[in-house]
Amino acid sequence: MSEMISQAGLRQLLGDCIAAGTVVAGPTRIKPTLILYARLSSPDELLLEGFLRPDNSIKEFVFPKQEKLYGYRIRGNNIELTGRDAPVPSQVVVAARPCDAAALPILDRIFNWDFKDEFYNDRRTATTVVTLACNQHDESCFCTSVGLGPAAERGSDVMLFAHGHGDYEVRCVTDKGRALFHGKTQKSSMEGRADAGPEKRFDPAAVRKFVDRHFEDPFWKEHALTCIGCGTCAFTCPTCHCFDIVDAGPSAGNARYRIWDSCQFPMFTAHASGHNPRAGQPGRQRQRILHKFSIYPEKFGEILCTGCGNCTRNCPEGIGVLSVATEIDHE
Amino acid sequence: MNDAKSFEPKIVAYVCNWCTYLGADLAGTTRLEYPTNVRIIRLPCTGRIDFNLIVKGFEIGADAVLVSGCHPGDCHYTAGNYHARRRWILFRELLDTLGFDLRRIHFTWISAAEGKKWQQVIAEITEQTRQLGPYTDLYANGSAKNSGKDLPGGAPAPFEFRTLPAEGLLRESCRKLLADATVKVVIGYGKRGPAMVTRPEDVDRLVWNNRCVSNLTAYLKRKEIRALGKPAVVVKPCDEKSLVVLEKESQIDRKDIHVIGMGCEGVGEPKCTFCTARTRRFADESLGEAAAPVAQTTPPPNRFAALMEMPPAQRMAFWAKQFDRCVKCYACRQVCPMCYCERCIVDKNQPIAIDPAPSTKGNFAWQIARAFHLAARCVGCGECSRACPAGIDLALLNIALHKAAQQNFNYDPGVDPAAEPVIGSYALQDKEDFIR
Repeated sequence: MSEMISQAGLRQLLGDCIAAGTVVAGPTRIKPTLILYARLSSPDELLLEGFLRPDNSIKEFVFPKQEKLYGYRIRGNNIELTGRDAPVPSQVVVAARPCDAAALPILDRIFNWDFKDEFYNDRRTATTVVTLACNQHDESCFCTSVGLGPAAERGSDVMLFAHGHGDYEVRCVTDKGRALFHGKTQKSSMEGRADAGPEKRFDPAAVRKFVDRHFEDPFWKEHALTCIGCGTCAFTCPTCHCFDIVDAGPSAGNARYRIWDSCQFPMFTAHASGHNPRAGQPGRQRQRILHKFSIYPEKFGEILCTGCGNCTRNCPEGIGVLSVATEIDHE
Repeated sequence: MNDAKSFEPKIVAYVCNWCTYLGADLAGTTRLEYPTNVRIIRLPCTGRIDFNLIVKGFEIGADAVLVSGCHPGDCHYTAGNYHARRRWILFRELLDTLGFDLRRIHFTWISAAEGKKWQQVIAEITEQTRQLGPYTDLYANGSAKNSGKDLPGGAPAPFEFRTLPAEGLLRESCRKLLADATVKVVIGYGKRGPAMVTRPEDVDRLVWNNRCVSNLTAYLKRKEIRALGKPAVVVKPCDEKSLVVLEKESQIDRKDIHVIGMGCEGVGEPKCTFCTARTRRFADESLGEAAAPVAQTTPPPNRFAALMEMPPAQRMAFWAKQFDRCVKCYACRQVCPMCYCERCIVDKNQPIAIDPAPSTKGNFAWQIARAFHLAARCVGCGECSRACPAGIDLALLNIALHKAAQQNFNYDPGVDPAAEPVIGSYALQDKEDFIR
């Protein structure tokens, strides 16, 4: 026996959440050619079927692209600190992909290893992740190469599996998830299914071995030639988490903000002296791969990549972790 | 505060040191009374007034902005005001496209002898702005983000992938170029996207099909490519226009680049529907036939026309909603062949010129800067729109400026290599109808 919820029931549940003041976010069609995870104002906006995955990731709901850390007021000679953005009351991220949900435990470590980041943790605690297992993949997907898969539960509070006729099997993973779906499901004999997933494309251990031993290597130079140096890969990546802290003056409300940053920008490593240790794109490309397959694993014992393929799909010039890692492994 | 009687508008006036500032001074010394709503900011010359200042004026709470300088012919620096006039003609179009309230942006010529005119202008602007009320619509006030209406999208046209016959010719030609060391690198298309080929034995990595979208001339600015030596670059007829502009701006030396012009039948992008650049003019060699544009089953809706039909406030709400998705990845800048500054204005942080935050304000500021730096330079390759991971129709801003350059200066960037660029030059007879 399994638990199930109909699509109408799911939308009803989300509608109730929205009515109760909970922020609900999920895949929605922004324009004919673009689907993004975004905050939903009505459960009807939620898109559940007929697409591979949104072009962004769910990280923005726990680690927004811009977050006010504090404001300030200048009164005479005194500077008075004012509050941060109000914390989100509670939020549900629905129909996340397993590769998005799996990024959250990865981010948890980053925002808690030496310093407990209250902004991140507040949002994270307030968030319930309802993951929809994948029933398709494309040539950019590689979750199976990094130890995940179309039905991986990592980071999810609830797993949904499509039955194939509009109903979903519900498997609650955490208490948070059980609380959300409590009393909303029916018993069923049907079992939801997930896609078999993409074939394994490369071995992350081989990638690590290469990057650890080839810091200076013509490979990086050659590989980085087509990179144009934008931050699309990092900003649509579920696990990339680098940020910058900027001060906004009076015209932007006197505040200190945390904003997303990317290792692909020259400014990311520019020193005040004018020296830049990563002067060119080869070093920046290497950094991205190195961080994902060596630096993070060395510290936390796992890979900083969930195989979603967003970098490849969004890159204006078709580069991504998959192509680089595959090339490394096959060389 | 909102009723006309109690509302005192704030007006920021950017004036030149030599004429208007002295005119305002004269008004004072001759005891002419005028409203105290104006805050004067004195600058050397209107020709040096950065367009960002106009926007900044609104951001810091101005209800109207005035820019004023010497009459044509009177400029202390001979021609600063002529340059300014050209820029304002274009910049007004951009602000209009973004939905700024043009009734709040004023331009005048006021000489050192025209204290009386200064008095009149300030009195009139103050009264007019008082009637308009406070400028609360700026950037849709942050609240209207979700009320911004979208433009007609149109489903993507059916697309059938085809390898084109010139692929073999291209590979053969590149093999020769690399083998006899005419060039050191071929900037071409590969299976997944652009491909850089440096060895003759690798030319089979090059492809030529109807999905070769990228404008490869954007790679000519990249240090890593330049370090390799003389490049051959594969261009479609539309991409060739970028080369014309780049040469005009001394960014490339034509003889240091080998240009392989390809016949193109369209690459399935929106721009292809309106493409007129089917002939190859500047290539060192031309391969393949230029076919007729691929017929679209239904012509895509004219999004620009639909945008301009909206009232300004609605337009601004539209952009606020679009920019709300911007994550500031700068793909629009990086993919653009014309964005070649070594250090972009957004990367300047001492002091910060453009708010780096992906906030509504920061995003407007960035897109205004990006679009206007491309005024009368953008060749319309549409790469900015294609690259944007947030699906923002950035090219609409470039279209606005393109149209303005065509209508006002009969200039089409990248088409006629002999034509004088609009920005950086001026004509005494430049026409406008908004400077009083």
